[in-house]
Amino acid sequence: MTDTVARQTLSGSHPVTMTTADGEVLEIRCGSDQTVVDAAAAAGFSLPSLCHQGTCGSCRATVTSGDYQLGSHSPEALPPDRGRDVLLCRTVPCGPITVDLPYDHGRILMGGIPTHTATIADLRVVARETVRLDLQLDPDEDGTLGSQFDAGQFAQLEIPGRDVKRSYSLCNTGNWEGRLEFLIRLRAGGDFSSYLRDEARVGDRLVVHGPQGAFGLHETGLNPRWFVAGGTGLGPLLSMVRRMAEWQDPQPARLLLGVNEESDVLGRAELDEIRMLLPDFTYDISVWRPTSAWSGHVGTPLDLLRRDLPSTPVLPDLYVCGPPALIDSVIEIATTHGITEDHIFYERYLPN
Amino acid sequence: MFCFQCEQTDRTGQTPGCAGARGNCGKTPVTADLQDLLVHAVKGIAQYASRARVLGAGDDDAARFVLFSMFTTLTNVNFTPTRFVSLLREAEGVRNRVRERYEEAARARGLVPEALSGPATWSPEPDLDGMLRQAAEVGVRAGLDVVGPDVVGLRALCLYGLKGVCAYAHHATVLGLHDPKVYAEVEDLLSFLADNPTDPDQLLERALRVGMLNLDVMRLLDAANTGTFGSPQPTAVRTTPVAGKAILVSGHDLKDLAALLEQTAGTGINVYTHGEMLPAHGYPALRAHEHLVGNYGGAWHEQQVEFARFPGPILMTSNCIIEPHLSYRHRIFTTGPVGWPGVRHLTEDFRPVIQAAMAMPGFAETEEPERAITVGFARDAVLSVTDRIVDAVRQGAVRHFFLIGGCDGPTPGRNYFTDLALSAPQDSVILTLGCNKYRFNDHDFGSIGGIPRLLDLGQCNDTYSAITIALRLAKEFGCDVNELPLTLALSWMEQKAVAVLLSLLALGIRNIHLGPDLPGFLTPNLVARIVDEFGLRTVGDPAEDIATALGRR
Repeated sequence: MTDTVARQTLSGSHPVTMTTADGEVLEIRCGSDQTVVDAAAAAGFSLPSLCHQGTCGSCRATVTSGDYQLGSHSPEALPPDRGRDVLLCRTVPCGPITVDLPYDHGRILMGGIPTHTATIADLRVVARETVRLDLQLDPDEDGTLGSQFDAGQFAQLEIPGRDVKRSYSLCNTGNWEGRLEFLIRLRAGGDFSSYLRDEARVGDRLVVHGPQGAFGLHETGLNPRWFVAGGTGLGPLLSMVRRMAEWQDPQPARLLLGVNEESDVLGRAELDEIRMLLPDFTYDISVWRPTSAWSGHVGTPLDLLRRDLPSTPVLPDLYVCGPPALIDSVIEIATTHGITEDHIFYERYLPN
Repeated sequence: MFCFQCEQTDRTGQTPGCAGARGNCGKTPVTADLQDLLVHAVKGIAQYASRARVLGAGDDDAARFVLFSMFTTLTNVNFTPTRFVSLLREAEGVRNRVRERYEEAARARGLVPEALSGPATWSPEPDLDGMLRQAAEVGVRAGLDVVGPDVVGLRALCLYGLKGVCAYAHHATVLGLHDPKVYAEVEDLLSFLADNPTDPDQLLERALRVGMLNLDVMRLLDAANTGTFGSPQPTAVRTTPVAGKAILVSGHDLKDLAALLEQTAGTGINVYTHGEMLPAHGYPALRAHEHLVGNYGGAWHEQQVEFARFPGPILMTSNCIIEPHLSYRHRIFTTGPVGWPGVRHLTEDFRPVIQAAMAMPGFAETEEPERAITVGFARDAVLSVTDRIVDAVRQGAVRHFFLIGGCDGPTPGRNYFTDLALSAPQDSVILTLGCNKYRFNDHDFGSIGGIPRLLDLGQCNDTYSAITIALRLAKEFGCDVNELPLTLALSWMEQKAVAVLLSLLALGIRNIHLGPDLPGFLTPNLVARIVDEFGLRTVGDPAEDIATALGRR
């Protein structure tokens, strides 16, 4: 953990002016020992955030003016030397500050995170130690049946009666049938993983908190969109390309999926289906340590990026989801080839 | 960005115009700049298209692309940068096709094709950043330092009027009514603007040509609407909800409404109109759908509250969308020229709307008591009782007519139009059209000798009805329109209203009260000239204006 201190003296209540990517301005006051995320919650709205401990990176933003204290946080969630980038769950203003939020106003939940109940509709193994979990939401109190979310968002799943909550990205698209789909890597010793591996059955009840999160598609014109996924980091990116297919978005799209072994390959059927619907979509699966039977690309998506970016006529927007090392490598390769950081959108996969 | 095309433009600076982080309509600088570039691109198409048409090689598909593209740049129509990038690329292809047709036609006649310059030579940069650099050179104020604000203002007057013309013409074309003469005039006027004209007299003359063109277009649109759906008839429209699943349709496009009504037939879903769609209830072919049950809400600027409250999905068919709140962003859909980033856009197939309606609760119960307003007093309905109206005037039962029309909006200055309607004397008749009517259409105005005192002529798209009625009354009374006991109060907001204003000026109609503020693109010099030459008036004190109209002062 690192500990950055912009100024030590903290006192009083300070105005915080936040500007969203689509130009909306939010003003709150933040107590002298209060983080910006907590102050926003006290003011009645939830900024995209998850761990509240400086470990997940989902509340990252940029302080454009003013002094602040940045509490201890994981360097994987916010690498050092990131200028005035902060994690708002660890940011305590020392005076008036202004903040640029990297997401649209629509991603801020007014009145808190919605909670729903749901039933497990399907649960099946789709790759080694990986399952697809389908949930069917119950209708809302007013009778509305639907699961509305933006591609790239996640939900927290809770087992009723147990203190176990885990966040997973949705891999389908918003719909009016109440369907939620997740790709989940089962982790050794993980509480929710153990539940899914050993206990969960179709018909079981779960609590769903969300949708949440700022990761999503951005309108930047007709630049090609390249999606880079590591393992189940495919989930939110699959949601994005599915949405592109459903909405018939005009941008050319390419997805690069990297896994360790052939038995880890997932999502092929879904990707083939998208290819039928979205003519200008291609995908490549890279296996790092294949058997001799593997006929596809050997290596990682990073190899493909290095190989293909120099010959690309129009530089793509990059959407990346995977472990921090993958994200950092993609950023390094992309910036080397002239893609500016405002065209790189990512979500770090960290344990939560 | 710089934009001053609508009434709500920022007026806090030295000169009116939105130039900040967002326009007052919610438009981002990227969208505003791409709209400027698209206007530039269609001027380039028009440069070749107008020449090709003279040689008998007109390209009507290209003309329709121009109409649609211009429509997307109207206020509160399309906010989606990606859509504009797509249109810009398409524009290059259309321009190339039209250029080839022109050059072939010229050579076939033994002529040397002209080498055009300006927008005709434009090609889009491959990426958004490049396009934005191009846009910076072609904004509506391009050349300001050289030609001065009056010329820039007159060019804007022509351009914005043309935008309105294109929008109305697009509405007619989707219903299958095409007039190559209209296309030719649009192309000529855009080509004229592509040459960066600097003569104020010539610019004003062209602005009036835009107005005359708009009259032709409004006539075409009237024929398209009545030819497709029948002539509107006075119809009581329910304004209270009915129990059941529900879809709300807003905007102006009657064809989209008809398509949705057909696709929802037999589903048990009730369809409600909103905003400018209200007059749809007067058309026999639309009213025949029993599940078109009523109207919900009021004018466009109330939509964020009304859409949030509506228990079903919303279909936005043409102009007047404002930023959808998160609470209904997933259940609002756009079609046609409309767009908002992150809002699903549909083309003809409205199944996702129907699916959303089925998944949502709809109205739990039918609201009692039922309330209703009456619409459908279009030209045929009004002119069918011309004799009674003329008699009423001659006998002194009707002393005056007030035509209070145009767009509504949230600014306090628009109270003028409310006060004007509500203060009009009992022996006057109020004709209204556009969404401005929501300020007073729930008021019981009563009737005079069986003639309702409030006659709703329709949408702003139905201006032809109003003009036809005025001209017919003038004929009956053997006088000029300006001599009729008629006061025109025009509430403007965006470019369709600019086109209508130019039509009225072109017809020589004087003493129009225009408000709540005059267009920001008209400089004090231009306002003085238009006031002097056309007798244009601002809005003032309603009581004084009524007194003046009635000849008391």
